[in-house]
Amino acid sequence: MRKRFLALTMSALMAASTITGCSGGGDKAANKDVVAPTEPFGDTIVYDPSVEVNNGEDITIELWEWGSDDLFQQIIDVYTAMHPNVTINLVNNPWEDYWTKLPLALDGENGPALFNIHNSYHENIINYLAPLDIPIEDLEADFNGVSAHVIDDKMYYIDYGMMTGSVYYNKDMWEAAGLTEEDIPKTWDELIEVAKKLTIKDGDTIIQAGLNFNDDFHQNYLLGLNYQLGENLFKEDGKTPNVNSEVMQQIMQMLVDMYHEDGIGSENFGEKSSDSFGQGQSAMVIQWGHYYNTLKTTWTNIDFGVFEIPTFTEETPYAYNRYNGESTFGINKNASAEQQAVAQDFVKYFLASDEAQVAFNIAMSTFPAKKSLATNEEILANPSMAILADHIDRYIWPGPMPATVENSLKKAGQDVFYNGVEIKTALDNAQAQIIKDMKNSSFESVESLYTYASEK
Amino acid sequence: MGAKYRKYQSKSEIILRNIVVAAMIIYFTVFLIIPIIIAFAGSFHNWNPLSGTYDFLGLENYKDVFSSGLFGTSMINTIIFSVVVIIFRVGLGLGIACALNSVLVKHKTFFRAVYYMPVVTPMVAVAFVWKFMYNPQIGTINQIFGLDVNWLMNPKTALIAVMIMTIWKDFGYAVVMYIAGLYSLPSDVMEAAKIDGATSWQTFRYITLPLLKPMTLFVVITSIISYIQAYVQILIMTEGGPGTSTYLASYIIYDEAFVKYNFGYASALSFVLFVITAVLTWMSFRVSGDEEA
Repeated sequence: MRKRFLALTMSALMAASTITGCSGGGDKAANKDVVAPTEPFGDTIVYDPSVEVNNGEDITIELWEWGSDDLFQQIIDVYTAMHPNVTINLVNNPWEDYWTKLPLALDGENGPALFNIHNSYHENIINYLAPLDIPIEDLEADFNGVSAHVIDDKMYYIDYGMMTGSVYYNKDMWEAAGLTEEDIPKTWDELIEVAKKLTIKDGDTIIQAGLNFNDDFHQNYLLGLNYQLGENLFKEDGKTPNVNSEVMQQIMQMLVDMYHEDGIGSENFGEKSSDSFGQGQSAMVIQWGHYYNTLKTTWTNIDFGVFEIPTFTEETPYAYNRYNGESTFGINKNASAEQQAVAQDFVKYFLASDEAQVAFNIAMSTFPAKKSLATNEEILANPSMAILADHIDRYIWPGPMPATVENSLKKAGQDVFYNGVEIKTALDNAQAQIIKDMKNSSFESVESLYTYASEK
Repeated sequence: MGAKYRKYQSKSEIILRNIVVAAMIIYFTVFLIIPIIIAFAGSFHNWNPLSGTYDFLGLENYKDVFSSGLFGTSMINTIIFSVVVIIFRVGLGLGIACALNSVLVKHKTFFRAVYYMPVVTPMVAVAFVWKFMYNPQIGTINQIFGLDVNWLMNPKTALIAVMIMTIWKDFGYAVVMYIAGLYSLPSDVMEAAKIDGATSWQTFRYITLPLLKPMTLFVVITSIISYIQAYVQILIMTEGGPGTSTYLASYIIYDEAFVKYNFGYASALSFVLFVITAVLTWMSFRVSGDEEA
């Protein structure tokens, strides 16, 4: 009865929201009480605030982004405090519109000089980017993962942070099941055993799932665990996908067994694993770093912990998981020379400033690509980053994959779990779809640039 | 003809007419005809306007459309979706309109507003609410009816669930259209039927229904055009899943154009769909409209 009342109330609230609409929008009020640095700072890339920008003459540029206004405004305030002649107008375009509006704006004369980048849209924006005027060797000296971004000996953007998947667990459920910190699993077998203890059933009906990966077959399992088993996502040519291999079938089979043999969850329990964990229905989920902030801001009642993704054996794997980078800003090659110069200077400041790097990585829950910040106290205070610190070099980036790779594997997972399709057939279909969709793509995997690529 | 009537028009009327007509021509040229021409040309190319790719492919995109199993599946889904939703939209619309037209029903304005409210509510918002209601664990529908169904992730129920939501949202449009149709029926015919001793059913079957045929044709044709283009509810509620089991033809176009940025293939799909829509509309006119003519 109580659940029914809750469901009705929630429905009524949601229905009401359709009538009242949504309101929102970030408070862009700039904090002008900023102390501007006066001395040069940075490691190899050094920023000198005393060097004038645009010869000290007034200039205005735009910076486009899709969220976290306060974070961007924070670094804009510091920069404009150093260079009062520069005005940077922050423009927020929602993610849904951003990737349509941005290329069209960059194609014209009045596009933003600076803009936030997500590497999944690399192919649509690369033609509009101006190369960074910072030497590649300087970037490599200060940051990890730089070589994977080199295009024809030029660098257009790099990663400031590395995001990957980790296991989030509900501490209250953990304790109720009689588990302690000692029970944190290191291998998949151990995780399954722990998940069994965390699963609660009423007859055959699951009341609490030990592990939930619904709507998430692709992100953290099919597109990551292959590396633990020593296999890349793309074949030697860097262009042909490798998603119907025996290793991928093995991973999919493991997922099926987790639900159907071990009974630690169900494809029909908890529509979306991330929501199910937040709603207190599931004890463990594997999610990417951004989930840490989601839990902190959206699901504030959940007392959670984080541990590193398990491996198949206790030995060090070829790679623990795939990561994706949070990218530095893009510079519009069609902007005026003066605006581009300011944009170049701003990016240099962003790369040299530890404060800016720490702020962005904490906000995004990404592990810093800047080498000197690997042991930063503020960074390691965040559990989702601290657990990666020991072997962050054992995470691999396949490159800016076209969306079809993720989407096709998501469909393959749904085909297996909901449509009763054989694992091999589902993965063969995904392979064929990806090949078809990437027929005209310029994407080439950078897995061969991984530090431990020769171990494969 | 023009010369005959022109002498009765004032100069200002002619100027106003020319301005209005010119504005309409410019509007349709800029926002309809030119984009259609660009899309038609694009359908013969590997085209991504965001990256500037535009390579001639000939009929390659059209060959891909007709050899695509997914397009076939999505067309079957689209036909099932359209037929079922239109039948319920027309049936419910007509039934409720007749009920509201009855002298027995009070507060007609209130009921008209209630039935029309979902129509003016944005599809995105409605789809989100219904998606929540279909949630297998905390959704209202399972809770109220004591069911344990994963409505949107079961290939047997997913499309049905989307159709139920669409019917709920859209039948109010047919209600209002039919009420307008019922108001315009000639009262002398109804009175004559009453005097001749026709029962309520006979009056409805042999007088009301035939006289409402133009309105039915209008509702059916606008519904066909609308439902062949339906994709928002799919985007919000199932994203075409599970797998590809709820893909509708328009959703593939969205997916190809705005997810994969394959505008050439999406344009080819659009033109195939355009032709299918035109043929279906023509057939509807032929089947139902000949008698009106």
